[in-house]
Amino acid sequence: MLKDKVALVTGSSRGIGRAIALKLAEEGADVIINFFRRRQAAEQTAKDIESLGVTAKVVKANVGDPEKIDEMFDIIGSSFGRLDIFINNAASGLPRSALDLDTKGWEWTMDINAKAFLLCTQRAVKLMEGRGGKIVTISSLGSHLVLPGYVAIGISKAALEALTRYLAIELAPKGICVNAVAASLVTTEAGMLYARVAKEQLGEAFPWQTTPAGRLVAPEDVANVVAFLCSEEAFMIRGQIIIVDGGTSLVPFGFMSTGG
Amino acid sequence: MSATEETIKDIIVKIVHCDREILTPTATFQDMKADSLDMVQVLVALEDEFGIEIPDEDAQKFQNFGDFVAYMQARIAEKGSA
Repeated sequence: MLKDKVALVTGSSRGIGRAIALKLAEEGADVIINFFRRRQAAEQTAKDIESLGVTAKVVKANVGDPEKIDEMFDIIGSSFGRLDIFINNAASGLPRSALDLDTKGWEWTMDINAKAFLLCTQRAVKLMEGRGGKIVTISSLGSHLVLPGYVAIGISKAALEALTRYLAIELAPKGICVNAVAASLVTTEAGMLYARVAKEQLGEAFPWQTTPAGRLVAPEDVANVVAFLCSEEAFMIRGQIIIVDGGTSLVPFGFMSTGG
Repeated sequence: MSATEETIKDIIVKIVHCDREILTPTATFQDMKADSLDMVQVLVALEDEFGIEIPDEDAQKFQNFGDFVAYMQARIAEKGSA
């Protein structure tokens, strides 16, 4: 379904980004694997993608640095000459309370999680111009719910969701669809690390052992929705934040085992 | 003391805001009171300064400042001979 499409997935050496990269490759897309710190993992993802019979290209870039974003898109431009799909997935952040958050932590998180979405999109659109495209960004429930130690990331995700709506309208005349997918706790290395921190703060009150759907969200659950948003079937979905949480955000007082 | 070691110290002191004197070969990152963000920023600054790549897979093996300097010197020498 995505045959002959070129896709960039930022932060795709592992976790949700890797699952998205693999899913898009399964659908036939050539994929650019962007990583920041884990080269071996990125190369493994590329190898797994190539085994599906499509092209994978590994590009190192800290998306928190505008110069590195430019270098990455220069490489994409010279290697592929176009881009059909841009998935803004790379994210970072420190577990801090608001009163402990310093400017360094704020800027680091906002630069990687929110500013990069704007700067990458500006460059991606140039490579989509005249042909249309799909842009999907990865958000989280922390954009509108208060989660322990999540203030910096939550703020950055709220900015990213607002930007999703503005971009969806601004880029609509160019045939570019822009949407977001917001997940609850996902079973990735980063997700489990966060869960440990949250558990330390909340103890027994930690709510996310599972979801009403019977298990935690897996990276593939997010990837499946991202792939749908990249399909033509999703053409009329614009500027939406699609929640993938097994129903978690609907039950603020915990799970009702009776189902009601 | 090598120029490489001095440059590494300059970068750590600037980013972590620790005293230069504590950067002995046996000093750990806990001794420097560096958090995970400090460490990533140090690695990124060193990568830019020396034009090499320090993946997390390697960085996770450093036990102390001495290991770190030895690794950097080896990588820079490797780059020079490449």
